[in-house]
Amino acid sequence: MNVVSRDIKNAFRSPMRSGAIILMLAISIGLILSMLVARTSVNSKIDEVKSKTGINITISPAGVMGFSGGGNALTSDQLATIVKTVHVASTSATLSDQMSTSDTNLTASLELGNFGARQMRFESASSATTNGGSTATSNATSADSIDTRPAPTPRTTVTGTTNPNSISTDGSDLTLTSGATIDGNSSALIALVGSDLVAKNNLTVGSTFTAYEKTITVKGIFKTGNKFQDSGIIMPLATAQTLTSQTGAVSSVTATVDSSDNVSAVITSLKTALSDKADITSQAEVAAASVSSLQSISSLALAGVIGATVAGAVIVLLAMVMIVRERRHKIGVIKAIGGTNRKVIGQFVTEALTLTVIGAIVGLALGVLVSGPMTNSLVSSSQSNTSYSTSTTRGGMGGEMARGFNRIGSNFTQVTSSITPQVFIIAIGITLVIAVIGSAVPAWFIARIRPAEVLRSE
Amino acid sequence: MLTVKNLTKSFTDASGVVTALKDVSLTVKTGEFASIIGKSGSGKSTLLSMLGALDIPTSGSIEVDGVDIAKLSASQQTAYRAKKIGFVFQYYNLIPNLTALENVTLALEFGGMPASKRKARAEQLLDSVGLTAKEQLRKPSRLSGGQQQRVSIARALANQPAIVLADEPTGNLDSETGKKIFDLLHKLSRSENTTILAVTHDMDIAGKTDRTFKLKDGKIVA
Ligand SMILES: Nc1ncnc2c1ncn2[C@@H]1O[C@H](COP(=O)(O)OP(=O)(O)O)[C@@H](O)[C@H]1O
Ligand SMILES: [Mg+2]
Repeated sequence: MNVVSRDIKNAFRSPMRSGAIILMLAISIGLILSMLVARTSVNSKIDEVKSKTGINITISPAGVMGFSGGGNALTSDQLATIVKTVHVASTSATLSDQMSTSDTNLTASLELGNFGARQMRFESASSATTNGGSTATSNATSADSIDTRPAPTPRTTVTGTTNPNSISTDGSDLTLTSGATIDGNSSALIALVGSDLVAKNNLTVGSTFTAYEKTITVKGIFKTGNKFQDSGIIMPLATAQTLTSQTGAVSSVTATVDSSDNVSAVITSLKTALSDKADITSQAEVAAASVSSLQSISSLALAGVIGATVAGAVIVLLAMVMIVRERRHKIGVIKAIGGTNRKVIGQFVTEALTLTVIGAIVGLALGVLVSGPMTNSLVSSSQSNTSYSTSTTRGGMGGEMARGFNRIGSNFTQVTSSITPQVFIIAIGITLVIAVIGSAVPAWFIARIRPAEVLRSE
Repeated sequence: MLTVKNLTKSFTDASGVVTALKDVSLTVKTGEFASIIGKSGSGKSTLLSMLGALDIPTSGSIEVDGVDIAKLSASQQTAYRAKKIGFVFQYYNLIPNLTALENVTLALEFGGMPASKRKARAEQLLDSVGLTAKEQLRKPSRLSGGQQQRVSIARALANQPAIVLADEPTGNLDSETGKKIFDLLHKLSRSENTTILAVTHDMDIAGKTDRTFKLKDGKIVA
């Protein structure tokens, strides 16, 4: 009779016990695989977030966020300081403004909706108070507004920038559907117009519109896919400064750092140089928070892998030690009639391997099934904290930062679990380690069983 | 030829040192049937385990056909047990999950017989101890005590050993079956010219053997 088939048959001599061992092994191997998958997926996401959000720093005047808040715009001196800071590779400065119907002949393409209307009402009420009593008409309006406020009108955003590409939402160059881009350093009366605004006003490349009592020529039409952006106008920075009578002022500067390693150094020196006159934020800093929560998932998963490996090894080990103890006498007899240690150990290793292989097959199948949901629940449960903190800031914020947060936020939910061949090989390797540990210790016990004991009366 | 000289065996356990064999010397000629008698605890099993290389003597020598088995390495001892020694135990000690035939085949495997020849040899051995073809395919649990001891004798003789060591082979059998087993051993020692050392309590049986050694407190008396 074949020795191997005899040993494999041995593994099933007690189906209940073998079943229990296989089941426990399968669970720990399934856990190993899904934890490995979670870890690899999260790690690759960490790399992705790091590489995408690495090197931009946003500097805005203290107290200002988009169109909300107060304070003074950044001055050209401060801009010069930023440009001169070590490790700053390039900068793009923007000055944003909103045109009402009295500033332009364009019809805004953004619907105010409930949210926008509420904000607008709030603003017109406060402006009425400040201007109160200056003219008879505004006096009348102010008096009326107590009972019936004027219907708020949507506005059109003008962004003056030294780098039109910085308006792009996805980090790449701005996508133009027609025309050509404009030079951000020019001061000509030219503009790029968002596709929604173009559609609303029947504009084409070369057509003109009025803004701040000047005639502006459309040089290109852009589309970002972001409704807010696509309802706006992009102009050279100097043009926007002149038109809004804010020469030299900027509302936001994005500094691109030469390498992601220097981001925190640049932030530190900018904070010193600009002291309390500017708020400095970087996606890297925001991302760091996200990355650190991802990293804790990753180390949690690693701990899971180690824990499940230890558990698996202990299961096989205890099972085999139990079997060895049970067959102690039989092993003594086999040795007494001339069976070598190698033969006896070989039989037990075959048994342990049979159990481990079956456990591994069941466990890996289990792991493939649960690793997707497991990764998602690991990520989303820890992410709920992070997304809470981002959403609270997101409300009051317009422009670049909100887009940045959105980008990180959406990246975050996109942690996809994928079972790579590499992960599979590692899982199989770990299973083999379990089998080896689970066999080596019993083998040592087997070698120590003295055949003379079979002669001792039981 | 089996020559034992000044054999001493001590065990050290929690309660101290126990000397199971003290300066034992004896000689048994090839093909002789010798019996060992003595009270429980007198060292009979210990002597057999030394002769069968199941354990190493504390001092002294055991020469089998001119080779001192006390000086063999662990793997040489295993080979010696497989080829030169056949054991018969009081409680048979057959492998419970193997049939009678497979139990004998296993010994042939350890003795190094090619797989193709084992089955025929095992069947022939089991025939010679009186097991029918049907009985040969049964597991030990479905054989009587006497039948199990026959299987164990067949297993002991499988590799044509120089010495068969039997530790109270009839101790677990009724006296009639015991006599049959003993006669079987006797017959085989004649036909195969195998040296047999059998431990027994039965003075009738001991009286029929070629020689009798009596152990008392680890020493040979008379
Ligand atoms: N492995 C051992 N460890 C300790 N003492 C042992 C061991 N084997 C045997 N002995 C002791 O050696 C003595 C002889 O035992 P044994 O040879 O089994 O006697 P018998 O077979 O004649 O009944 C006894 O006192 C026994 O307790
Ligand atoms: Mg005894």
